[in-house]
Amino acid sequence: MTKLFGYLGMDVATMTTNDWLGVFFSVAVFTGMVYVYIMVFRPANKDKFESQSSMALDDEDHINAGEIK
Amino acid sequence: MDVVRWFSIMAVVYLVVGTLIGVWIASELAWPFLNFDIAEITFGRLRPLHTNAVIFAFGGCTLMATGYYMVQRTGATRLWSNNLAWFTFWGWNLIIVLAVITLPLGITQSKEYAELEWPIDILIAIVWLAFGLNHIMTIAIRKTSHIYVSNWFTMGMIVMITYLHVVNSLAIPVSLTKSYSVFSGVQDAMVQWWWGHNAVGFYLTAGFLGIMYYFVPKQANRPVFSYRLSVLHFWTLMFGYVWLGAHHLQYTALPDWTGSLGAAISLAMIIPSWGGAMNGMMTLSGAWDRLRTDYILRFLVVSLAFYAMSTFEGPVMSIKTVNALSHYTDWTIGHVHSGALGWVAMVSMGALYHMVKKLWNTEMYSDNLVNVHFWLTTIGTVVYIVAMWVSGIMQGLMWRDYDEYGTLTYTFVESVSAMHPYYAMRAIGGIIFNLGAWIMLYNVVMTVRQASAARDTNAVPAKA
Repeated sequence: MTKLFGYLGMDVATMTTNDWLGVFFSVAVFTGMVYVYIMVFRPANKDKFESQSSMALDDEDHINAGEIK
Repeated sequence: MDVVRWFSIMAVVYLVVGTLIGVWIASELAWPFLNFDIAEITFGRLRPLHTNAVIFAFGGCTLMATGYYMVQRTGATRLWSNNLAWFTFWGWNLIIVLAVITLPLGITQSKEYAELEWPIDILIAIVWLAFGLNHIMTIAIRKTSHIYVSNWFTMGMIVMITYLHVVNSLAIPVSLTKSYSVFSGVQDAMVQWWWGHNAVGFYLTAGFLGIMYYFVPKQANRPVFSYRLSVLHFWTLMFGYVWLGAHHLQYTALPDWTGSLGAAISLAMIIPSWGGAMNGMMTLSGAWDRLRTDYILRFLVVSLAFYAMSTFEGPVMSIKTVNALSHYTDWTIGHVHSGALGWVAMVSMGALYHMVKKLWNTEMYSDNLVNVHFWLTTIGTVVYIVAMWVSGIMQGLMWRDYDEYGTLTYTFVESVSAMHPYYAMRAIGGIIFNLGAWIMLYNVVMTVRQASAARDTNAVPAKA
């Protein structure tokens, strides 16, 4: 366990601005991914998303209505 | 929609030209006398012309045609600026003409997939931003409440390619035709492959996934199998892809951990890539029988099979132990072409055929020729990539083989000689693929002429 912590440990005192930027973006991307997975797989959101699944098929209606050529 | 028509036509023209140059340089590798000792047509000069022609001329025109088409259709609105759309058409084609002139003359920045010199780079940025502005503003004036997932993919591509192109092309000009990158040494290599792999990820993948999510449901006349999965596919691609570039630089001066990170994220990307491929294929649930008669749908579905295959192969090749064998060999060329010919070109062909029918409000001149084109494309692609897989793995094995005294078994030239049959086979695969492109061009031209003739006939006033 100590070895694992050693592997994952950060020498904060020697970290440069670039290192901190890397940490920030890594954590931000990880957090963003977690948020996306929760948002997409939350049962309450299922109908909201899936109601758009036929959107590509609906454009003929807009053409027939003269909204686009 | 006129600008979409012209982008579509030019895409087909550039498909023919770009793959023809590819066939020529493949033949030069098999039969080197074909360079005729003329510097302008040697492999080194024509190879970047080939990649620029297929990626930026064919791929770019396809992306702009479909981008403008999808955003109007799914937003129930017309383009924000028709003039700006025409500016992108003429600007993009001017860039292609400049590439045709400068690259054979050896005017190059020597950065892979970013060879064009600094004045053309600036023009690319201006035209690309004009495309982006027009696309985003058209979304802003849409009449639908939701922004369809295809437009998200296109926007993601526009934002990321702007960022990547500008940073990778940063250079100090010393004359109109010569500049030096602001990056040097290992930083230059890292930035180059940050661009290089993300050009694949955001231009050749995200942009064409946008095409897939619109044209597969349209052609199959079925809703997307899972819209939630498409949203997940988009965000995981956006978050994940930018980390992969370093896997091109395993066993180099780059810190070891960057290659490991690139490989680890590459493997993780199999999940969204296969999720997206399955999502596209499962959209055909209940309509698989249409593949017997709908040749355009065949292009779209087989492209997804190649997408799944190449997005598995790529991560496997990024693993260090596999990379030790595959890197610098023709296996990489085979991998690239399974993605480029099998995925990008085939999904584009399906989308272009679909659009030609809609834009000219007609049927194809010959459905049989679409079918012939499909089989030539499929067979040509398979012949090409099999040749390169065999050649590449053989190369890797020959280079690393050594005898009991620790001496290399084969000289480099022996490995080159052993590759000759596969180089000839690759050229044949390319010829088959290129023949299909000519058939597509003929079929599209005849379809347009047929539609124009029908319109003229209908416009003739009835006789009294």
